[in-house]
Amino acid sequence: MKKIEDEIKNTVKELLTDKKIDLFIGYEEGTLPLRTSPCFVTNHNNVDKLVYNSLCSNNLTVYLPQIMSKNKEEKPNRVGILCKGCDSRSLVGLIKENQIKREDIFIVGISCEGIVNLKKILYQLGDDEIVSVDEDKDSITVKLRNGKKNFKKKDYLFESCLNCAYPKPNIYDVLINKAEYSPKVVIPDTLIREFSEKPREERWQIFEKEISKCIRCYACRNACPNCYCKECFAEETKPKWIGVTNDLSDIIFYHIIRILHQAGRCVDCGACVRACPMDINLRLFTRILVDEVKERFDYDPGISIEEPAPLATYEFEDKQEFMTEVE
Amino acid sequence: MKSKKGHNQLILDKQYFEKFFKSLAKNYKIFGPAEIDDGNSLIEIDSLDKIKLDYRNTRISPKGFFFPETETLFTFDVETKKVRKKETEEEVKDKNRILFGIRPCDALAISFLDKVFYGNKPVDPYYTKRRNSTRIISFACTNPRQSCFCTSVGCGPDGETGSDIIFFEMDGRYLIKTLTPEGEEILENVKGILKVAMKKDIEEKERLMKKAKDRLKKIFEIEDLEKKVEQIDASYWEKLHQKCLGCGICTYLCPTCHCFDITDEVIKSYGMRVRTWDSCMYSLFTLHASGHNPRPTLKERMRQRIMHKFNYAPKDYGETFCVGCGRCIIYCPVNMDIREIIKEIVEEE
Repeated sequence: MKKIEDEIKNTVKELLTDKKIDLFIGYEEGTLPLRTSPCFVTNHNNVDKLVYNSLCSNNLTVYLPQIMSKNKEEKPNRVGILCKGCDSRSLVGLIKENQIKREDIFIVGISCEGIVNLKKILYQLGDDEIVSVDEDKDSITVKLRNGKKNFKKKDYLFESCLNCAYPKPNIYDVLINKAEYSPKVVIPDTLIREFSEKPREERWQIFEKEISKCIRCYACRNACPNCYCKECFAEETKPKWIGVTNDLSDIIFYHIIRILHQAGRCVDCGACVRACPMDINLRLFTRILVDEVKERFDYDPGISIEEPAPLATYEFEDKQEFMTEVE
Repeated sequence: MKSKKGHNQLILDKQYFEKFFKSLAKNYKIFGPAEIDDGNSLIEIDSLDKIKLDYRNTRISPKGFFFPETETLFTFDVETKKVRKKETEEEVKDKNRILFGIRPCDALAISFLDKVFYGNKPVDPYYTKRRNSTRIISFACTNPRQSCFCTSVGCGPDGETGSDIIFFEMDGRYLIKTLTPEGEEILENVKGILKVAMKKDIEEKERLMKKAKDRLKKIFEIEDLEKKVEQIDASYWEKLHQKCLGCGICTYLCPTCHCFDITDEVIKSYGMRVRTWDSCMYSLFTLHASGHNPRPTLKERMRQRIMHKFNYAPKDYGETFCVGCGRCIIYCPVNMDIREIIKEIVEEE
């Protein structure tokens, strides 16, 4: 990890010194144990605060549409950004949907070995205070006030990471950790499969139960790079699309629309799940869309900039039995 | 039996806790911390096995008990343009409630909300109705989290403001301190199982609290914060918001944030005027009908959130509207840390 981190720092230092970029978006150490935080570097003397480890979970591309839509004086000419596999897929989406220009972004790609779900670790730790954290290739060691615990990384990865078919960025300008990268076996997501095989009524019940935890903080939307609308349907008042209360029907309305807006666009980075303060398993519903789009249109979002988006194009062979036949 | 009048520090042996609780439950509906879906929430405790008192804090603050996420102010008929029913005319659903086992920081936050909705004019009838029917029994903190900073903002693990009674958990017993006449009234029926606290009990409590306080680092001095967070055009605002995503987690989980929106929800001829939580971090929060937005970017919104807590609230209510519970730090998806923001502002001066 130290080696990767140094490689990132050197690359960014060079980019900023040579004025190839005006701003770099990476990760820095967070203020709580096991946390990392997005970090904006504009000065080459500040690259030392950059970190990279298996807890760098934020999808940083979420910042790009806003930064690149600033007025001329404030907008950086070119932004450097650290992208794991999923982040690069988000980037492809943003380019494809004309939110950013490829030439305005310098992509420091990093082959990802999966990100650790810190909530799972914290849950194991209980109420003991963390003194220090140490990471090596396969595990994370947490020193507590009373003792020490070791966590095998592969047992604590995010579900979206276990299910990730493209951990290596598919577009980049430089690629970090080529040597250390080892493609991993994709584990079929049993949770998603089990859910989608359930009868419709049961699926609805699960959906209702999960969604009922929602407090309408819209973190799922704001953490998602795909949600760049300047004004969201959820808050629009003219016309008013949905009710504002925490009545289940209003909440469901918001989520169904949010989820459906992701069809053919969601790259399954898991940013929504990680952002949710109520631990709603939002991915359960968006992942099904990813799988369905794959099955119907043989399309993987975020892979190719040129390939037309599945819902923006039409082919004679496209399946349409879902419209003509009742389930 | 010796009279306990005049003694506000009492001892409840843990073996009598169930008896104590059941006796309370006769007159009050009790809400307390419980573990639900890997997180702690305040729920109705109708049987003791639900309660989880060795928790650190709940995910959602208790503010919703007085200022719910959504509440109907009144209903109306669209065609006749007549009010059907005012919510305040309805009977309070839970006549006597006790919030049992909440943390001192959250109790303090309720006392702040009281200043907004309850003590100051105009009084909010919806809040008042709920507040009048609720008593607060807090539990002192013995195991603060690494995100806690209550001692920096004038609270503490044994903070008393806002509570009617505060419990200190000790070896085999609880030390109970009554803080208000309402608190004394609650204990009226359970006097028989309480003893007067001895010097050694009080000393043990003090030791326990000192241990908790030692773990809470003081990050800044609250006294001069108001003056320091004064510069609306300071250059630090340009940077402080940078990583913020603009979601509402910090404000919705905050025990003192109390901004709301009022909307008419209409289905055919049935209309409802509802009040819902709103967040200054949302882009539409200040959008005018003209299309102008005085807080167009996250810079202005972040500045508003910080200045409201650390400058406007002290001016309006004499209190810094932050109790150091750390929820906004723990649950922020990008680890924005309000302690760092304040530190940066203070150091800039």
